[in-house]
Amino acid sequence: MTELALQTLDVAKTYLVSGGAFRNRRQLKAVNGVSLNVAKGAVLGLVGESGCGKTTMAKLILGLETLTAGEIFIDGQAISKMTAKGIARRVQPVFQDPYSSLNPRKSIASIISLPLRALKVGNRDRWNRKVDDIMDLVGLPTRLKHNYPNQLSGGQRQRVAVARALIMHPDVVLCDEPTSALDVSVQAQILNLLIELRQELNLTYVLISHDLAVVEHIASTVAVMYLGRIVEQAGTRELFKRPRHPYTQALLTSVLTPEPSLGLPETHLGLEYPNPIDPPSGCTFHPRCPKANELCSNQPPQPRIEADRMVECHHPESI
Amino acid sequence: MSKLLEVKGLHADLRLPAGALHAVRNVSFSMDQSETLSLVGESGCGKSMTALAIMDLLPPRGIRWADKLVFEDQDLLTIDASTMAGIRGGRMAMIFQEPMTSLDPCYTIGNQLEEAILEHQNISAGQARERAVYLLGKVGITAAASRLKQYPHQLSGGLRQRVMIAMGLMCSPGLIIADEPTTALDVTIQAQILALLASIQQEFKMGLLLITHDLGVVARMTDRLAVMYCGQVVETGDVRQVFDQPLHPYTRGLMACIPVPGKTRPGQKLGSIPGIVPTPIGDLSGCSFRNRCYAAGPQCAKEDVSLREISAGRAYRCLLSPEACAVETEGNWK
Repeated sequence: MTELALQTLDVAKTYLVSGGAFRNRRQLKAVNGVSLNVAKGAVLGLVGESGCGKTTMAKLILGLETLTAGEIFIDGQAISKMTAKGIARRVQPVFQDPYSSLNPRKSIASIISLPLRALKVGNRDRWNRKVDDIMDLVGLPTRLKHNYPNQLSGGQRQRVAVARALIMHPDVVLCDEPTSALDVSVQAQILNLLIELRQELNLTYVLISHDLAVVEHIASTVAVMYLGRIVEQAGTRELFKRPRHPYTQALLTSVLTPEPSLGLPETHLGLEYPNPIDPPSGCTFHPRCPKANELCSNQPPQPRIEADRMVECHHPESI
Repeated sequence: MSKLLEVKGLHADLRLPAGALHAVRNVSFSMDQSETLSLVGESGCGKSMTALAIMDLLPPRGIRWADKLVFEDQDLLTIDASTMAGIRGGRMAMIFQEPMTSLDPCYTIGNQLEEAILEHQNISAGQARERAVYLLGKVGITAAASRLKQYPHQLSGGLRQRVMIAMGLMCSPGLIIADEPTTALDVTIQAQILALLASIQQEFKMGLLLITHDLGVVARMTDRLAVMYCGQVVETGDVRQVFDQPLHPYTRGLMACIPVPGKTRPGQKLGSIPGIVPTPIGDLSGCSFRNRCYAAGPQCAKEDVSLREISAGRAYRCLLSPEACAVETEGNWK
């Protein structure tokens, strides 16, 4: 069996939100029983609309939120038994917006070396050398060491964020929309960098993105999330070629590829993403689903696992 | 039939402490009635400034001048500020990028929609409300009458963008300028909002000037496009022509940069344009793309490159001949 870099078992996170004055607090199930396996050196793409729980999932994996139920294993070790610093050694994030994720008052060298200093790895000489090495690796000229983030372009800033994530040699790099704040031509530079680094350092990525073209380009497996649950998971090529869940199909048809002859797609998704405090009964997707019938509104579907792919639907497309 | 909008030799400068920033440089285009034109480019290329210059909404330190700026047979260069204020929001409406910030959180949806028409037309509050309900229905909002009493924070992002579109339509404009109308939205909602804009545009016979950086949106939505770089139009033409055979090295670079499902091989290196967009401050001569271009030669620095028209409505700004542009292989943007 392949070694797993990251495994989540039935992970759940419930928030209590105020129901209003004089009312009881209500439960919001942001993540509701998610099981994922990511092999070493693989790239998992996590896609879904805003509000589906992608970012909560990211916070759980980074150890920034405590689990309500379930367990996450990083390199075989349970996250609930690790300290915050222990988790930081193994998982590092790259965030969406390099304009707000870098401290404007710290120099580039001090931003990149912060994980080393916080975790007290090595001494000052070693930090300096490591910063030089890693800047070289991500394609930043070392003369920028003493500059500040505002002197850098968007692409260079995102390279700094990548360098900071990689300096601890983490097992898992969690990229939360790494390119969506960048211009088209710069986005390609950062994607190329991420692909190269993965091959060079045998890194494992969890890539959270709403841009399906980007996900198809670098992910090896894709998990589609809807209202806190994974509704379909499969190898990237199979999922894009033959989506089985009606939601995945709708997502794929909404991607606007640059082909002028195709015109605008019709998604049949209806107006609104449901409110996660009041999720629909049965299959949570049924109010927006063209295939829904009575069974769907009464009974939540069970995951079906066939030939390496999982789908949670009463009427999946056959393989 | 006369043109809806004619722009000729439009310039816009921002007076900054570091010198004049030439945000828009000699931009010319025209739009027919109920036509869709896209302005495409990366951030800082001047596409939003072009729209602001047309509407006379430049920031305080901005100035504009042009050879010709005519909208619905009215010369926008000579009319006074109050007439312009009547056109803005009346015959010419704008939809902004962020529905979160461009609606006022302190007023109800109904209040803001009704104000949009009461400002411009002499009608009663009741008629204004009727129109608001009618248009909210048109943009696909259910239970429109009760929505009027809601505040922006009670609506989702997609609904807010629909409200923005309805607000733009209140005075039945002849031209809608949409600045990145779907950038802040999810892909599924984006497809819906664009389809809605397209159908409304046909129904009400409006022109649509779409400003975006997303080539996918351009390809699916528009008739013609103009690619902008550093304040200039570098290539313009019919959408199919430009996507089938892009000419300018910058356009070709943009197309090589985006992963396309089913076309680019997963994991394969994407094309990328080296360097960054320069800031157009000070004296600019020569081709502004030459520092990032694979085909640049000494000639590119010497002379200003003019827009060369190769067929009706199809032009590009490069010294290379169309044939030389076309033989360029995929390897150039690696």
